[in-house]
Amino acid sequence: MAAAPQLSVADQIRQLEGARKLVLKDVSYYPQVIQATLPIIGPSSQVEFRRWGSDFLAEAFATPAVPLSSKETLSLVVLDTLKALVEDPKQDVLVLRTTLCFDCLHQHFPLARRHLRITTLREGSIADLGAFVSINNSYDSTTWEKMTAIKTRIRDIWDTAPPTRGDPLDISRNMVPPNHPALDGDQLEAEASGLLDRMLSALENESSDPLLVDATLNTLSILVRQRPKTSSRIISTLFNFNPLRLATTAPLTPKTKVLVKSMEKTTRMLLTHLYRRDPHNPLAGRMQQYVERLVRSRAEIFDESGRKRAMVDQVSAVEAKRQRTATLSTQPQIEITPLKPGANTLADVFTFTNNDGLKNFNVSGTIPAPLAARISVRTIAQLDAEILQRAINGVRARLVAFHEAHQQPINPETAPLDVEEDDDDYEPDYYAAEDTEQLMNKLDSSPSDERRDLQAPVLGALALPAFKLPPPPTLDPEQAARVGQGAIARVFGTMQTLEDPTSKKSKAGLNRLAANSYDRDSWITVITRLATRANAGLDEISVKDEDNALTLPSVNMSDSIREMLYAYVLEDFRKRIDVAVTWLSEEWYKERVQQRFAPPPNQPCDFPANYEKWTLRLVDAFLPYLHSQDKILTRFLSELPELSVSILSRINTLCRDPSLVNLALTSLYYLVVFRPPVRNIALDTVQDIWTEYEDARPMAAKYLQRWRPGFVEAAQRGAGTPVGTNGAVVAT
Amino acid sequence: MEVANGASSASAPTLNGEREDAGGYKLKLCTVCASNQNRSMEAHLRLSQANYPVISFGTGSLVRLPGPTIHQPNVYPFNKVSYDTMYKELDGKDHRLYTANGLLNMLGRNRQVKWGPERWQDWQIGVPRTEQGKDRGHTGTEGGVVDVVFTCEERCWDAVIDDLLNRGSPLNRPVHVINVDIKDNHEEASIGGQGILELADSLNKAAKEERDIIGATAFDMASAASRASFDERVPEIIGDWQEKWPNLPATWTLAWF
Repeated sequence: MAAAPQLSVADQIRQLEGARKLVLKDVSYYPQVIQATLPIIGPSSQVEFRRWGSDFLAEAFATPAVPLSSKETLSLVVLDTLKALVEDPKQDVLVLRTTLCFDCLHQHFPLARRHLRITTLREGSIADLGAFVSINNSYDSTTWEKMTAIKTRIRDIWDTAPPTRGDPLDISRNMVPPNHPALDGDQLEAEASGLLDRMLSALENESSDPLLVDATLNTLSILVRQRPKTSSRIISTLFNFNPLRLATTAPLTPKTKVLVKSMEKTTRMLLTHLYRRDPHNPLAGRMQQYVERLVRSRAEIFDESGRKRAMVDQVSAVEAKRQRTATLSTQPQIEITPLKPGANTLADVFTFTNNDGLKNFNVSGTIPAPLAARISVRTIAQLDAEILQRAINGVRARLVAFHEAHQQPINPETAPLDVEEDDDDYEPDYYAAEDTEQLMNKLDSSPSDERRDLQAPVLGALALPAFKLPPPPTLDPEQAARVGQGAIARVFGTMQTLEDPTSKKSKAGLNRLAANSYDRDSWITVITRLATRANAGLDEISVKDEDNALTLPSVNMSDSIREMLYAYVLEDFRKRIDVAVTWLSEEWYKERVQQRFAPPPNQPCDFPANYEKWTLRLVDAFLPYLHSQDKILTRFLSELPELSVSILSRINTLCRDPSLVNLALTSLYYLVVFRPPVRNIALDTVQDIWTEYEDARPMAAKYLQRWRPGFVEAAQRGAGTPVGTNGAVVAT
Repeated sequence: MEVANGASSASAPTLNGEREDAGGYKLKLCTVCASNQNRSMEAHLRLSQANYPVISFGTGSLVRLPGPTIHQPNVYPFNKVSYDTMYKELDGKDHRLYTANGLLNMLGRNRQVKWGPERWQDWQIGVPRTEQGKDRGHTGTEGGVVDVVFTCEERCWDAVIDDLLNRGSPLNRPVHVINVDIKDNHEEASIGGQGILELADSLNKAAKEERDIIGATAFDMASAASRASFDERVPEIIGDWQEKWPNLPATWTLAWF
């Protein structure tokens, strides 16, 4: 069949095309057709056949329609022909290119190499590899070939990452067994990283050939994805690559503009693609920034106003699409002309006709009102809705124009009213409404100015209405509580980040203003008052009215804030004890105020005793952490607004640890000395300590001797003296 | 020989813009717009009249055609509804409206060109296209690959590039993707189609020249210009073209199938 002499080249090609169409329709014929055509397209045939053949083979190995397994078989069949084709030093460049770039390397070699892995080494394949490398070097000057060759080589040989499973086209060095007779892993890896460097040098070199740059950029995505180890090297090269460089070195002709734009866009597409695909990449943020910077510098280089369609232009484009639908209407058209500048009567605003006779026709003077009404009703009923709509819109447009035209001259005179003269101001509508109102106020007070007097009502009528947002959907109490909690949690978040005030300011105590600054103190005041005062009334209801309790949110706002405050203080109670004191003082204060306005004593008064409850919780929580040097307890006890027996009895428990006896007793003694109102209960506590803890007796006795002379003796004498717990004995 | 470009209208001879086939090498082309209706189809028709192998696609999620108002477009899925079906449906809905806004005219043209709108993202690149034998410009596209893709709008270009990056170039075959910004109306589509045809002619001329250099001898001895392969000449060609067509802003890149 090969090279039948009677057939012309064109005829033979036509025959070959017939065979190709056959396999395209049914790919199962590929093995036969390839076998049959190989002799025709071999190295000794005419260049047309070789070209056709390389194209054909490229297509066969590229098409996804042929399963990989058959490609693998086929690849071994064509190997020798391909080898001969690429080894011919006088080979046609086109054949070479097709063979090398699209077929032999990318599609063919991976398969052949896989074959190597499976069976034994075939010398021919490796010779092919060598042939490729040498041929590539000898044609080094053609950058195009270099680039494609490098790319394909990279894809074939490159590997540092573990083999990816899902992609059967992906050939990785990890598939090569470590003791493979022909393929040396380390050598391949070194070669591969060298190739990557060479490839990226297209982006690093000063002379940026747009073709090379674009082609390289478009291959990088797959490398980054399949070989993650290369990604940081590639991305950092991208960051250093300036696609706009050409614009700064060459004159801005339309040609350079296209090229620079193309490179910039390709770079941007690649980076956008990369960070969209892998948003968790640590470099994603920088990629985004880089893209934004590119957009800005591109805009600086090309003033795009002339090229990009302006907004108005687009509107007209939409109209152009539909313009013929508009002219479908066969109704008479009305012409709406803008109002003449200067003074206009109300009638002028509503007049569309140009006929002077009609304009001057006085309806009310000539036609009786009932007749005029009947005519009007009939006319309006028969009016085409479209025309009416247009007329209404026309009048609207006139009024708006009128309004705008008359605002400007008045502005300077209203300057004292702080009217914004800046037209570019944010939310012009909003200001327009305000302007008018202010204007009217001023006009009221200056009746002398006739001109403005006349305009005032007109302006009032023309003012654009103030825009109101639709009311938000109502929250149910549950949601509201949750949202509220979120807000509070954020305040706590803020407080954590605020630094401690550098200088201690004098404290204003209960009289301080909640938010006079944004330091931590202010926030704490806000928070504590929110917790204690905000819904003081609600607490009451929930306690008294059992039925209502159902409708109240299950989460009590105040209590949840208290929980957060409690946690906040405990996180670092030594430093935040002042927060605790502030908070508990607020609690105490609120309870005092509530008591003052409480119902008469004969009615049961059940305000929740938050002060006591939370003080006890706090004390219980931090007591276990105290050590013998902690002055914090003394300070806390002395600063609390009110001390009760139960609070002090907690101190009592400290003495279980002998090392803390001193601390407990000193703190109590301090109270005895410096807080006369609680002196008695403090002494009672000391007594209790003396009674309960043997270890504490010497020290407790020392204090008691001074303040409760006789107690120790009495106790020692009559062991039966009734000394109960703190609550039982209230002396004096 | 082929005439340099379509602008020399004196030599664009036969009826309906149909051009006589000069034979020889032909680049395989592809046109892309949002809905594969107006701009890409106008260009598809022009290129096929000039005997180029050509296929066309849309990058939108759906085929959208203007309806009675801007808020009521006629929407169809890609690859499922033929131009003929759309024609008949719209003709039934409101003959006058869709005649007046040019839709029926456009669909009438499209159904002469190919079966129906195809979506770019659904195109299986490299799978033989043997079923589409009746499409205009089918000859030469049976292999399911093209050399040049023309998009008609920047966002379509973006969609094409992004899609190609996603596909990960399994065929390892270079493809020039060129955007020619054309406004989406009938007049501009016609002008844009003319521009694309002219660009295709220049590109094909270069490709042919490159092909005519035969053998290693010629390669070694030829001047620098002839050594430059077709791909290397593409940026130059686009630059020249842009100077001639300043109102059709172009973007270009070399991507991989």
